[in-house]
Amino acid sequence: MEKAQPSLHLAKRKRAFGNRRRGLLKRLLASKTASAGSVLIIVVAFISFFAPWISVYGPHEVDIVNRLSPPGTEHWFGTDNLGRDIFSRVMHGTQISAQVGFTVALSVAILGLVVGLYASMYKWLDQLLMRTMDALFAFPAILLAIAIMAALGPSVSNLIICLIIVFIPSVARIVRSAALVAKEQTYVEAMHALGASQTRILWQHIMPSTISPLIVQSSFIFAEAIIVEAALSFLGAGIPAPMASLGNLLADGKMYIYNSWWMTLFPGFALIISVLAMNLFGDGIRDLLDPHVRQGKGKK
Amino acid sequence: MPEELLLEVKALRTYFHTARGKLAAVDGVSFDVKRGEIVGVVGESGCGKSVTAQSVLRLLDEKHDVSYEGEIRFAGSNLLELKQRQMREIRGNEIAMIFQDPLSSLNPVYTIGEQIIEAIMLHQKIRRKEAVRKAIELLRLTGIPSPEQRVWEYPHQLSGGMRQRVMIAIALACEPQLLIADEPTTALDVTIQAQMMELITELNRKLAMSVLLITHDLGVVAETCQRVVVMYLGQVVEMADVASLFARPLHPYTIGLMGAIPRMDSDRTQDLQAIEGSVPSLLNVPSGCRFAPRCAYADEQCRQHMPELKRDAASGTMVRCWHAGTLAEAFEATEAAIATETSEAAERAEEKGGVQHAIYP
Repeated sequence: MEKAQPSLHLAKRKRAFGNRRRGLLKRLLASKTASAGSVLIIVVAFISFFAPWISVYGPHEVDIVNRLSPPGTEHWFGTDNLGRDIFSRVMHGTQISAQVGFTVALSVAILGLVVGLYASMYKWLDQLLMRTMDALFAFPAILLAIAIMAALGPSVSNLIICLIIVFIPSVARIVRSAALVAKEQTYVEAMHALGASQTRILWQHIMPSTISPLIVQSSFIFAEAIIVEAALSFLGAGIPAPMASLGNLLADGKMYIYNSWWMTLFPGFALIISVLAMNLFGDGIRDLLDPHVRQGKGKK
Repeated sequence: MPEELLLEVKALRTYFHTARGKLAAVDGVSFDVKRGEIVGVVGESGCGKSVTAQSVLRLLDEKHDVSYEGEIRFAGSNLLELKQRQMREIRGNEIAMIFQDPLSSLNPVYTIGEQIIEAIMLHQKIRRKEAVRKAIELLRLTGIPSPEQRVWEYPHQLSGGMRQRVMIAIALACEPQLLIADEPTTALDVTIQAQMMELITELNRKLAMSVLLITHDLGVVAETCQRVVVMYLGQVVEMADVASLFARPLHPYTIGLMGAIPRMDSDRTQDLQAIEGSVPSLLNVPSGCRFAPRCAYADEQCRQHMPELKRDAASGTMVRCWHAGTLAEAFEATEAAIATETSEAAERAEEKGGVQHAIYP
């Protein structure tokens, strides 16, 4: 009887944890914006994952005879000035955009968390890190990105590095401010009084309260990264030309916009949907995780 | 067994370096705590009692720009000379602390069990399973019903009194020799306060653990402590064992604090006495005796010269007042008057046949 007890409590704990998670999922689905965002994200993720299998034509397959043909049964979204299938190129473009956005959001979240947490802990480090972040913040995102891309040279991995540098400050700031609030809590002082080390307090007791603003901000950065990537590609400073990124497609369509509208419309639409999906999702998550917003909604 | 000193604070000065200069929040405080003893530190808000307590654990180092003078001897070593790493070995392990507000002293994202286990495993190399068992034991020791279930609950599922018990359990995790309780009952309601103090005295007896009790409640001190340190504006103004402090308070500040306690045997129609004014800011410390501006008995000598902490010949109390002897006699005289008055009143009432109604209308 005595021996059975610990496992019993463990089971109870696991159940409680499961309940809490299920509760979160339920609330996520109950919110209209969050569920719309989630559905769109699933669609975008599906498309970008299965792009090579869905499209009949390759994104680089040139067919000069059928160049600039309007949308139809053969080419659903029409073809571009070199006769490449727009449908295939849009899907591959979405894939690249989603990959870039995801990698950037994840790396920025991790790096921003480290920078923000340590800045909140040590005063001298705070000065050093946050003044650097301020300097980065002072430049408009696109301008800074163009400058970094010019220095690094065009390639997908360089673009990702560049976007990470551009977006770190916003996450670092949010994490830092959440950590500074948590640091003043009595339970942090109590941990000091128990003889816990700075590192332990930082990761075990301060980090959890920075997670929800971090998640929200990261989902917005996902969307923002897609936009900046598209803008850079459009300007020719992003993903190198033959690759089918959404920005490149828009840049290609610019020349033909008066007679071949499909070259611009479909990539533009894909861009809107990808960004909208992430923004809706981010909004929904924020409503769920931020108790202040939740209370406000309840009163209405 | 000779009375062994566990903690000895000698001429402690704690300075805060602020934009407006170097402020001494604790200014030459000396006292000691013997093994197994409960010592109370009393005073109004802002008198430096919490800073004294936090200086002992050097908790202020983490957040503020502070410097110390003097000595804090604990079990042979001077805590003020230790490095942070060595200090961490002492915190929680040798000296534990419980805070004023049990509601915010527990991390809301972890279960109370996880928090107790963390405290245990910070200083003891034992297996997690063992730590879980110990956590449950600690909860039982602090009087939490059905600890096997409670241990996996989150802080928000517990009442205020329960949470303070959990805080005590965490503090006891490594069987410290000294427990610093910084106003442990202030945030709790009166019945829970009594239970908490009972628990602390019981643990003090059971575990032979010394307690440094920071409070502004003289009632609590009278019930639990063996000795009392009365502080005012960063200085010790009176230090005595409980019996002599309450029988013969020497410092006008102590007398004032006692006057502010409602009593069952005093005249109910009179207003409760209060000490005029409030504790002055550290930025403009009065010259001479620090209490002089608020003291009804202050004269020119008090305003010009700071009195030293001296031993009163009659009771052995340490006191920092020029007029200590004369005031004590006056206090004793009024006490005696009240006592005879009440007994006369009781006699009269007895004649009428309703003793309780007469004294407690």
